Amino acid sequence: MDFAIKFAFDILAFTSVMVLIVLGLGVIASMMGIFNFAHGELVLLGAYTVYLSDEHGLGAWPGVIAAPVVVGLVGFVLERTIIKRFYATPIIAMLGTYAIGLIIREIVRGLLGGHYKSIPEPISGAFSVGGLDFSIWRSFIIATTLVVIAGSWLLLARTSIGLRVRGALENPMLARACGISTGRLYAFTFAFGAALAGLAGALIVPLYQLSADIGIRFLVQAFLSVMLGGVGTFEGPVLGASAVGAMASGLPWVVLPVLADPLVFVIALAFVRLRPQGFIAAGRV
Amino acid sequence: MGATVGSALGRAGPRARRSLRVLPAVELATLAVLVAVPFILSERAELITLMTNVVILSLLAISFDLCWGFSGIMSFGQALFFGVAGYLVALVGRDLGFSQLWGTLPLAMLAGGVLAAALAVFLLLGRRAPTSIFVAFGTLTGAYAAERLVAGWQYVGAGNGLSAIKLMAFGSYEFVEGVEFYSVALTALLLVYAASRWLVRSQLGLVLAGMRQNEERLAFFGYRVQVFKALVFSFAGMIAGLSGALYSYHQGFTGPSNLGPGLSTTAVIYCLFGGSGTLIGPVLGTAAIELLSYVLADTDAIRQFWPVILGIVLLVVVMFQPTGLLGLVVSARERIGSFGVRRRAR
Repeated sequence: MDFAIKFAFDILAFTSVMVLIVLGLGVIASMMGIFNFAHGELVLLGAYTVYLSDEHGLGAWPGVIAAPVVVGLVGFVLERTIIKRFYATPIIAMLGTYAIGLIIREIVRGLLGGHYKSIPEPISGAFSVGGLDFSIWRSFIIATTLVVIAGSWLLLARTSIGLRVRGALENPMLARACGISTGRLYAFTFAFGAALAGLAGALIVPLYQLSADIGIRFLVQAFLSVMLGGVGTFEGPVLGASAVGAMASGLPWVVLPVLADPLVFVIALAFVRLRPQGFIAAGRV
Repeated sequence: MGATVGSALGRAGPRARRSLRVLPAVELATLAVLVAVPFILSERAELITLMTNVVILSLLAISFDLCWGFSGIMSFGQALFFGVAGYLVALVGRDLGFSQLWGTLPLAMLAGGVLAAALAVFLLLGRRAPTSIFVAFGTLTGAYAAERLVAGWQYVGAGNGLSAIKLMAFGSYEFVEGVEFYSVALTALLLVYAASRWLVRSQLGLVLAGMRQNEERLAFFGYRVQVFKALVFSFAGMIAGLSGALYSYHQGFTGPSNLGPGLSTTAVIYCLFGGSGTLIGPVLGTAAIELLSYVLADTDAIRQFWPVILGIVLLVVVMFQPTGLLGLVVSARERIGSFGVRRRAR
């Protein structure tokens, strides 16, 4: 029983990170129809920000706080300069964002010098409930994710910005005709998605070693989650992320770890193939 | 693409034909250079090796071009077929002691083709047509999963890959790096090029051109577009397999990175840089990028950031020059090409 609770807790922590990454990717995909292949590298940038602040003796905290802001700004600049040219051609957009990802990844690899860096948890240690130890940092990740999900939901469902975003999502032409600047809205949305990726990167870096290649793994998993959950909904990607996160962290206990990752991909791909609309059919936010 | 397929079909008369001259000229010039290479460079062994690499990787670039430029499948998985075939010939050499090129190269093509066909059946065929994003992403996932799998599999050398691959042989003659190997690779390239050229100019090529213009409309005409895509994808897989086998033999080594998204992306860059949608484009793109990489590799500062430069090249091409280098000299009208049996003018 104890083991089961620990296990569930670990899966929950990993799933939370996936949800953060996927939320950003999903928002961008539903809103602009663009699958951002540089999303994994935005996660990497978030992680790198924490590393920089840790390296300069500031400790990890300033980095964790700065990461969403920095990556959000990067996202904003990318959208205004490059991404906005691609809205008419989603497949070309894929190539373009992949190129951006490649550039970011290789620059970071150059800066890291090809080494793996590890960063200590900003709050280390554990607390115990009922004789069980729980890592504080992982609990912090779970709590942050819950706050972010609640915040995003409130933003989308309860504010006038959210109303405009939903309007632009439903019918961009009509939204423009009503005087909503969809261009600015898209830039804002992209920056928001990027900021979420940055935050996710900052939160996970103490759990994983920092290397230039962490992005691509999260990219693949996040994509599967978005497709699994269904594009164009808010709950879909969150559910998809939970499913992929649970599989990715659960399967290594059942089958050989080497086989686990590919197996997750195959299962998820097969599911998407059979049910392309995902868990939740599109059409509402 | 500006002109429509309809106007390509309606082509007739000497005037229209005269405007179709740039591509054959480029093709002939490239052929002349490639044939001349062993004679000009016979003194410089390292340049022969470089050119052999260019020829072998051109095959990979062509295989990507058949998918993207000709049938609209954004494949991030060409390296999967390339790498699997490379591992296959390495294993056949290691465990069976067999490396006769008349046996292993067709085997590699078969492996690449079958694997591509299987992936195509999974990704493309079925009651519902998949979105192109899903297909692109499926190929990327396939390549990524394969790289992870191979990197953890002891039988195929795990992360270290397989080295000291048994040399490719014909009878008792063994091919090492050099002019002889170059000739084999060039022969393979010429055969593949001729076959691909025939394919994309056949009636099937016409269907592909129609699909590029308006896939939905063609589907309404009754063409099962996904089947055509799957066929071309499988053919491209065969070419990638051949390329991978030659590459393994030439390098004497194969590793997990030969299977992964990294090499797949490199193939994408070769093709787009040279000019997708033409067959000679990928060859020129491969040559340009590999030669540039060779020239720049001497400077340490540049070598470290070479992948960054590649990324910038890809971004610039995608944003400003989607037709690649060839798009500068070849008109949109000529890129579409001509199809079927040449008939006399009315």
